[in-house]
Amino acid sequence: MKTYLSNEFARRDPLLLVEAQAKGRYQQAKRVFTSLTPEQVVDEVKNAGLRGRGGAWFPTGIKWSFMPKELKGPSYLVINADEGEPGTFKDRQIMEKDPHLLLEGIMIGSFAIRAQTAFLYIRGEYLTAHDALATAIAELEAAGILGDSAFGSGRPMRIVLHRGAGAYICGEETALLNSLEGRRGEPRPKPPFPAVWGAFGRPTSVNNVETLANVPAILERGAAWFKTMGTAQAPGHLLFGVSGAVERPGCYELPLGTTARELVEKHAGGVKGGKKMRAFIPGGASTGFLPPDRLDVPMDPESLRKEGTMLGTGGIIVIPEGIEIVDAARVFSRFFRHETCGQCSPCREGSAWSDQVIGRFQNGEGRAEDFALLEDIMRGSKQRTICVFPEAFAGPLGSAIKHFRSELTQVSAQRAVGRAATEGTALHG
Amino acid sequence: MAELTIDGRKVEVPPGTNLIEAARKLAIEIPYYCYHPALAPVGSCRMCQVEILDAGKPPRVTIACRTEATNGLNVSTTGKDCVAARAATLEFLLANHPLDCPICDKAGECDLQNFTYRHGNGVGRFSEPKRDKLKHEPIGDHILLDQERCILCTRCVRFMGEYAKSPSLVVAGRGDRNVIAIFPGEPIHSNYEGNLADICPVGALTLKEFRFKSRVWDLDTEESVCTGCDRNCSILLETKRNRLLRVRPRVNLAVNGHFMCDKGRFGLLEAYNPQGREELGFVKGARVPAAQAAAALASTLTAERGKWLVILSARLTAEELLLAKSVLAPLARQLAYVPTSATDGDGILYTGRAAANEEALERLGIAPLAEEAATKLLAEPATSGLLAFDATLAARLLAGAKGKRLALVDVVRDRAADAAAAPLAAEIFVPGTLASEKDGTFINFDGVLQRARRAQRWPQGTVAETALLQEIAAAAKQELTAFARKPDLTFALLEALGQPGATLAQIPEDGLRLAPALEAAKA
Repeated sequence: MKTYLSNEFARRDPLLLVEAQAKGRYQQAKRVFTSLTPEQVVDEVKNAGLRGRGGAWFPTGIKWSFMPKELKGPSYLVINADEGEPGTFKDRQIMEKDPHLLLEGIMIGSFAIRAQTAFLYIRGEYLTAHDALATAIAELEAAGILGDSAFGSGRPMRIVLHRGAGAYICGEETALLNSLEGRRGEPRPKPPFPAVWGAFGRPTSVNNVETLANVPAILERGAAWFKTMGTAQAPGHLLFGVSGAVERPGCYELPLGTTARELVEKHAGGVKGGKKMRAFIPGGASTGFLPPDRLDVPMDPESLRKEGTMLGTGGIIVIPEGIEIVDAARVFSRFFRHETCGQCSPCREGSAWSDQVIGRFQNGEGRAEDFALLEDIMRGSKQRTICVFPEAFAGPLGSAIKHFRSELTQVSAQRAVGRAATEGTALHG
Repeated sequence: MAELTIDGRKVEVPPGTNLIEAARKLAIEIPYYCYHPALAPVGSCRMCQVEILDAGKPPRVTIACRTEATNGLNVSTTGKDCVAARAATLEFLLANHPLDCPICDKAGECDLQNFTYRHGNGVGRFSEPKRDKLKHEPIGDHILLDQERCILCTRCVRFMGEYAKSPSLVVAGRGDRNVIAIFPGEPIHSNYEGNLADICPVGALTLKEFRFKSRVWDLDTEESVCTGCDRNCSILLETKRNRLLRVRPRVNLAVNGHFMCDKGRFGLLEAYNPQGREELGFVKGARVPAAQAAAALASTLTAERGKWLVILSARLTAEELLLAKSVLAPLARQLAYVPTSATDGDGILYTGRAAANEEALERLGIAPLAEEAATKLLAEPATSGLLAFDATLAARLLAGAKGKRLALVDVVRDRAADAAAAPLAAEIFVPGTLASEKDGTFINFDGVLQRARRAQRWPQGTVAETALLQEIAAAAKQELTAFARKPDLTFALLEALGQPGATLAQIPEDGLRLAPALEAAKA
């Protein structure tokens, strides 16, 4: 199968500008800057049906069309490279191995929304990727591609690289904007949406790394080509991550709609050590657990929504037999408790409380009424806060209750026996 | 105007009004914590959830503080989803709350308590160990922080930044480790710190000055006016057994908005619980009942008609000033006041002019006399003495006119900062009253006349200023029938100010804006 995103992923070092140009890179950006209008670019991306790969799957062309056409003052493209969803490592591959693929996409995207400055907000822990991007941006500046007149078009173009400080919530686009501005990384109430009030109060479009990496290919080969791949509603390839207990964990470029079974069994080599699978997570921690009998569900936004979950970032995590769901769920509940910004009462308290309750099951102290309590915590916080963080922490929690309820009770009861034994408490008589 | 429906009742509000304020107009309570009418809404506490009803669609739960009233909007505060959402929010907020209401100063006026009674579940299901955080930590000159009681509404953080222009509080940490904090080693330094205890909806920020002094339901509260400067902020004076325990601002958009400054708040706490207050009078060094001192003053002024310089004070109510002008002007060598020298205000509320009722003095046409000129006049041989209503000013004037006699009406005989200096030797001292001890009005620099209600009782036997002036009038055989025929002194005052028509009881709560004084009349 022909790939267009991951061609350079086998490299050890990032692709340099001269090598990239030898492969025909930046020809699309040059064509856009010197001979197309922003409307033409937006239309091509809209027609291609490209949707945001950050997890929300919002149509990119439509997002760009929200940006004002007549501008008094600057507008910005902000690139969300704060890849923090557990199980997700696709953007990192692009940035570490093929930074120019992203940078060309950024240039085209900026042109499409009439922005002359792009802020690339990169996750603080991504040092290698940061350095690769810094080098690549310096190459572009030295070559005069970035600067006062991109490709001699007379149009200035600048890319500012900004490192985050290591907070999951800053992957939420408005928290990212606050963080970029030097404020606390807390999501902003919407409206106003970033297209109206974004970075530094200016119209802004926030796009994911992989999304922008798709753009040069769309411009080169056209919307019709793009739609030949993937599903009707979600065309194109996706960089699927497969991690956890598999033989060959990694990042696999495949069309949207590929089944999880194909990804896990064919590409990732099956469950490690030939074990059975207990559960898998389809698209990053917040999408929750699915039992192995759902492995044949196509990995696209619509099919997974029907299963009551989400495609998210397409990062599959495989949990083998021998790992209890309650333990896996607790790992995630701790993570989300740690990462909520805490501004909204239901999320701040709900993420902590639910972590404590699931901790009871883990420690053999789960009670029958705790299921109702957990449901109430989720009900009281989902759709009740500024951003969708409660949906994220409710992902593993809700799916554990939905698909593995009896296992939770059973494990808790077993561990209660264990506790009683170690504490020397008489169980009978 | 936007016409919308809340719980089936129609209400009209200006477009852009949020749903909390629109509901308030109908006396429908939408509970809230992070919202404050004087601060930008953030929408994070999630207490004000209501339902938007749209024909053919399921009810949509949203927050009232960030939803603007629009024409035709149909809102429910009683739908089962929003009722459940609010109860859930309260359960979350209470989960780690210490529930130490029995020893909390806020109990009785706490929004967490009140809303829990009205909107909460009534039972707690939180059985985990509660979080430990900092308690009773001083974060400024007046405020103690209890992070465990805090519900992280961030009103305090935003108040210090948005209103006090002194961004000294932050949210530190993340998630359930979030705490309100100061920057390390940088306590709050602001003239508006005291407001933090008022805007805190729970007992997380308490006043050192009020801690453990009283349960709030034991306080007697009266509406009054701050006399700390000539802004005359609308305030509440709260006393217990006649002792002033707390001063709080009261909302008056025409004067002070929602807040007051610390100079006023803590200044009044000292001024209205005066140290060294004299309850007896003095005549020629001998301690006498107040009535006897009053009589001595009356007979002296009558006997030495035209020889005493009378300097009135801006601490008196406008009614007292009116009466004083009428009674004392015919008896005095000159009746005047010494304008208070202005210092820098703080650009927010504090004007820098500690002259609560100077506007009244001006508008009543009482002559301003510079301190120098007053001293000179006092030193003249034709002046036999000074009748003053303010010990501090009296001391300053006498310092330049040695050997002159003094009659003083004030709550203390001396307010000298230097204790070693010789006490002010008043020939006649009549113990006066505090502004908090009488009903009357004050006019601020902007021409807003407000009523101050009597919040404290004066000591037994006191001859209050009004009675003293009446006694002087009687001794001087003056007819006060012009006042006696009016409904009350306030009515007479407003007539004298050219805006007749109201008695004291008819002054609106947020005051009466007087027409600008004519420059000619002022001069």
